[in-house]
Amino acid sequence: MIRFDHVTVTYPGHTRPVLHDVNLHLVEGELVLVVGRTGSGKSTLLQAINGLVPHFTGGTLIGDVSIDGRSTSTHPPRELADLVGVVPQDPASGFVADTVEEELAFGMECLGLRPDVMRRRVEETLDLLGLAELRNRPLLTLSAGQQQRVAIGAVLAAHPKVLVLDEPTSALDPGAAEEILSALQRLVHDLGMTVVMAEHRLERVVQYADRIIVVPGDAQPLLIGTPQEVMREAPIAPPVVELGRIAGWTPLPLSVRDARRAAGPLRALLVGQPPPLRAVPTHTANDTLVEAVDLTVRYGSHSALRGISLSVHRGEVVALMGRNGAGKSTLLNAMVGLRTGDSGRITTNGKDSSTLKGTELLQSVGLVPQVPGDLLEATTVADECRAADRDAHVEHGTARALLALLAPEILDSTHPRDLSEGQRLLLALAVVLAARPPLLLLDEPTRGLDYPTKLRLAVVLRDLASAGHGILLATHDVELAAEVATRVIVLAEGEIVADGTTADVVVSSPMFAPQVAKVLAPHPWLTVSDVIATIGPLILRTHAPISGGAVG
Amino acid sequence: MRTALQLGARGSARWLHPGAWWVWALGLATAASRTLNPLLLVLIIAVAGTVVSARKPEAPWARSFMFFAKLGAVIIVVRVLVQLIFGAAIGTTTLFTLPGLDLPEWMAGVRLGGPVTLESLLLAFYDGLRLATIIMCVGAANSLASPSRLLKSVPAALYEVGVSVVVALTFTPQLIADVTRVQSARHLRGRATRGPRAIAGAAMPVLEGALERSVILAAAMDSRGYGRRSDMSTQQKRINAGLLTFGLVAACIGTYGLVSAGTPWFLSAPMLLAGLGSSLLAISLSARNAVRSRYRPDPWWAPEWAVAGAGVAIAACFISAAWWLPSGFSTQVDPPTWPALPALAVIGLLLALTPAITAPEVPRMYALRASDRELAGASS
Amino acid sequence: MTPAVRIGKRSLLAILATSIIGIIAFSWPLFAAPDSAAVAHANDAPWLFALVVPLLLAVVLAQFTDGGMDAKAVALLGVLAAVVAAMRPLGGGAAGLEPIWVILVLGGRALGPGFGFSLGAVSLFASALMTGGVGPWLPFQMLGAAWVGMGAGLLPRASGKPELLMLAAYGAVAAFAFGLLLNLWFWPFTAGLPAAIAFEPGAPLGQNLLAWIHFTIVTSLGYDIPRAVLTVVLIMLAGPTILTALRRAARRANFGAVPTFEAAAS
Repeated sequence: MIRFDHVTVTYPGHTRPVLHDVNLHLVEGELVLVVGRTGSGKSTLLQAINGLVPHFTGGTLIGDVSIDGRSTSTHPPRELADLVGVVPQDPASGFVADTVEEELAFGMECLGLRPDVMRRRVEETLDLLGLAELRNRPLLTLSAGQQQRVAIGAVLAAHPKVLVLDEPTSALDPGAAEEILSALQRLVHDLGMTVVMAEHRLERVVQYADRIIVVPGDAQPLLIGTPQEVMREAPIAPPVVELGRIAGWTPLPLSVRDARRAAGPLRALLVGQPPPLRAVPTHTANDTLVEAVDLTVRYGSHSALRGISLSVHRGEVVALMGRNGAGKSTLLNAMVGLRTGDSGRITTNGKDSSTLKGTELLQSVGLVPQVPGDLLEATTVADECRAADRDAHVEHGTARALLALLAPEILDSTHPRDLSEGQRLLLALAVVLAARPPLLLLDEPTRGLDYPTKLRLAVVLRDLASAGHGILLATHDVELAAEVATRVIVLAEGEIVADGTTADVVVSSPMFAPQVAKVLAPHPWLTVSDVIATIGPLILRTHAPISGGAVG
Repeated sequence: MRTALQLGARGSARWLHPGAWWVWALGLATAASRTLNPLLLVLIIAVAGTVVSARKPEAPWARSFMFFAKLGAVIIVVRVLVQLIFGAAIGTTTLFTLPGLDLPEWMAGVRLGGPVTLESLLLAFYDGLRLATIIMCVGAANSLASPSRLLKSVPAALYEVGVSVVVALTFTPQLIADVTRVQSARHLRGRATRGPRAIAGAAMPVLEGALERSVILAAAMDSRGYGRRSDMSTQQKRINAGLLTFGLVAACIGTYGLVSAGTPWFLSAPMLLAGLGSSLLAISLSARNAVRSRYRPDPWWAPEWAVAGAGVAIAACFISAAWWLPSGFSTQVDPPTWPALPALAVIGLLLALTPAITAPEVPRMYALRASDRELAGASS
Repeated sequence: MTPAVRIGKRSLLAILATSIIGIIAFSWPLFAAPDSAAVAHANDAPWLFALVVPLLLAVVLAQFTDGGMDAKAVALLGVLAAVVAAMRPLGGGAAGLEPIWVILVLGGRALGPGFGFSLGAVSLFASALMTGGVGPWLPFQMLGAAWVGMGAGLLPRASGKPELLMLAAYGAVAAFAFGLLLNLWFWPFTAGLPAAIAFEPGAPLGQNLLAWIHFTIVTSLGYDIPRAVLTVVLIMLAGPTILTALRRAARRANFGAVPTFEAAAS
């Protein structure tokens, strides 16, 4: 179905190729996962499938890419549209029409399908992806998961044989991600479609893949194999796999179910062991950084927060979890004075949050928003850091020094917009930290981050907490929460439904439990490193333990 | 701002083809342009207003009739004021006299003030009322015809431009949301969120984001088959080029003929029309080689004929009546007389009122709730 | 750099014809001969032109898209038109304080005359649709804005400070001229004015020109001058940044990207 024949890709103005001598052959009805870190050439590989590389981007392609016998050298992307459907990373950016139904029809209109065929296929697609209720809704009003489904439907309606997706679940909460993945699986199993998908969140997808392609970057040869083969060696792996590797399970488990079956002996081993102790910081009343009492925030008639009471102290890392729309962002905004409460009160650093502004705000609390780029206005990294120093009235060079610690590879002259998603987050973090706010808030910090960057973020957060900062992060990423959080708060419909130590809250929760907890339940071990710490000496056999901790 | 968008049909409710509304409204405007009779003009406004209130959807753009009505009022007031201040008096019924003032030479030496007569004020009022009526007819079309539906009906030759306008329409609310988001981010950096500096500061990240989005959008469009074309025969290409060249040159000649003296009749308006026709034919022929189809185009059924026909009918009634009995159409101001009400005009007005019944009901709209905007904000 | 919208032979012809007819449509009150058809029907002539101009604009845009405008240009056009439409309410229509000219001038400059023309026409059309402001003035606004955008793309090469000054000067002239043109279009609709500032169909050029100039001084100068000043100020302040952003976008979009395919050496 998809054939890469000695493919080398070089972009204009570059001397080194992004991909070098790639040979691939993907067959019909295969679900292939492409992994690799940001900038490794993963996107180039995906875009070469329908000829966007090099037709759209320019550049040189040596060798040949052919889809179902059609070579991309003779067929530009638009001539492959009936064969390959491509879903961009941010689906909302690729929408052309204004309502769901029109969007589904757009591709078919371009292909010149007959009106009756289009009508039928739109109805089928609406049903296939469960979008019938939304058919006349403006795209702008959809949730991220719904937008993702519409984007998939919009390319499916043209009946392609190949579906290419770039990080389809990275912006979604676990529930919405499950929906997308099960829809994709149905396409592969029922319709024999070939699906090629890039994804950083291995723990979500690895179990569905038939094969995995690892793009190591720097034009190194690709690694291709079954998930078991690839996962045995891969430097990055989801927690179940890591657990399997250190416990020496064969075959290597890819899903929680497989791991749980194999984990009987391990669980037995844990009986009677003291559960891992997480340093829960002891705090006094004057350690309180933010405190909400009976806080209610309304948008019109809709209450985003209903009578919330909570506090965050120095040295704590609190994970704020819950569905999209549960009120997480509203709570963060209230803490920095972007929203005022309709009743109750909220104080940040001892002051009414809504009165904070200017330097005083900067020195009390820092918020890295969901789109970190929003914070960045300058045209170079150096300018951005200088502006941060000026805003915070701190010594010149403070922000730059922080950035050098967080991300030493970022150059002064780079345009912030040219940074990768992770680098942009770290730059925003440096900018925020320049004023040394005791309280740090992060809204969905792991969106679009690859494993190494996430790992770095986890280390940074832990260091900040031990340096006395209080950290509150709103996140869907249960693995990150398990890794760094000392406390978890779960919001639902604007109310707090759980607030306790990480282990207490997540172990029993089907939604928020990390993979290790699911495998080892009812034992309260949350991460691979916790397990190693407890029983490492007991089971350390021939299998070399992994080098770093697993995050995400 | 409460934004409302289409939700779906209820019963026989559907969107009338926007073209039908425009034909109807332009028919009304044409009728208005034929008369200075204030009674007829007011009746035309009443007809437009009635139909708008009967068939107006709940969308932001549908509120524009009120805007046009205000504009009309301004036009009338300005016209009357101009008459008061500058006007050379006609007639004999002097109402009052304003103190006179001669402006300096560089201001054209205009003389202001002087006696104000009832006749000249009436004439100014009628004249202003006519322009205001025409403007309000256009406003009625703006209120009734859905812009996104109108874009779905653009001729094939303008498809690409239509797509870019659709992109603009759907992207603008998102941009405004982006501005709000970036302004929040400015607050987070301890900077001002109000005033010109704040707007300027927020503008750049928003513009950059918009530009980035355009590249992603273009790639998505390319991947989905946008811009597929089949080859056209060389002969067809030549014919099209010939038609276009002839058409454009003819249109230029025709336009020049309109404004220059002593042109033979066939070198003015007819030439212009022939030129336009030929150019439009050329572009619609060359649009044929695009491989493209339309999903659920708005149909042109009986209600569309009825609505458009009503517009044509009132225009025809007014034009022919103004031709046969001009007296009823230009109300005398010197001496002031009560305006007449010609029968043919009444028939035309009644016909123009029928769309209030013959046009199908407007589908219910999807009202954007605050929580939706939250979601949209969170996912963008 | 490859322009975003290619102007072929036929597009050029269409632009020329539209511009000629457009100039006549704007300026006939000054130039029309006393016994011409336009003067004989001076009440109807503006309406006729209001129908003719949009059809011609359609011909030009159709010519652009017929081979010269790919997905990248259409997407960029849509997005920038949205920016213009979002900016229009910022001025509040007060005293001609319209910030949109910055985008039209800089957009035309960075992305070429063809794109500038399309941007001017499309953005004013889109914003009129959005606010329900479609009226007889719209075709003339579109044509005027299209000229402004195209003119910016035709300015001579320059860079750095001279470029900025050139753009600011052009912006001032363009924003001011736009006001004068629209004023000229509106003039025949005004009746009852004293002879010194009134349009008199068929009067000699000198008389009407003088009257029009006086009419402009009396009525719209208060709008045109602030508009021109604001445009200059904005171009001088934000011009370099916006221009950089637009050029970065053009570079990233890689208009007219030439893909190269080579067989693998095996």
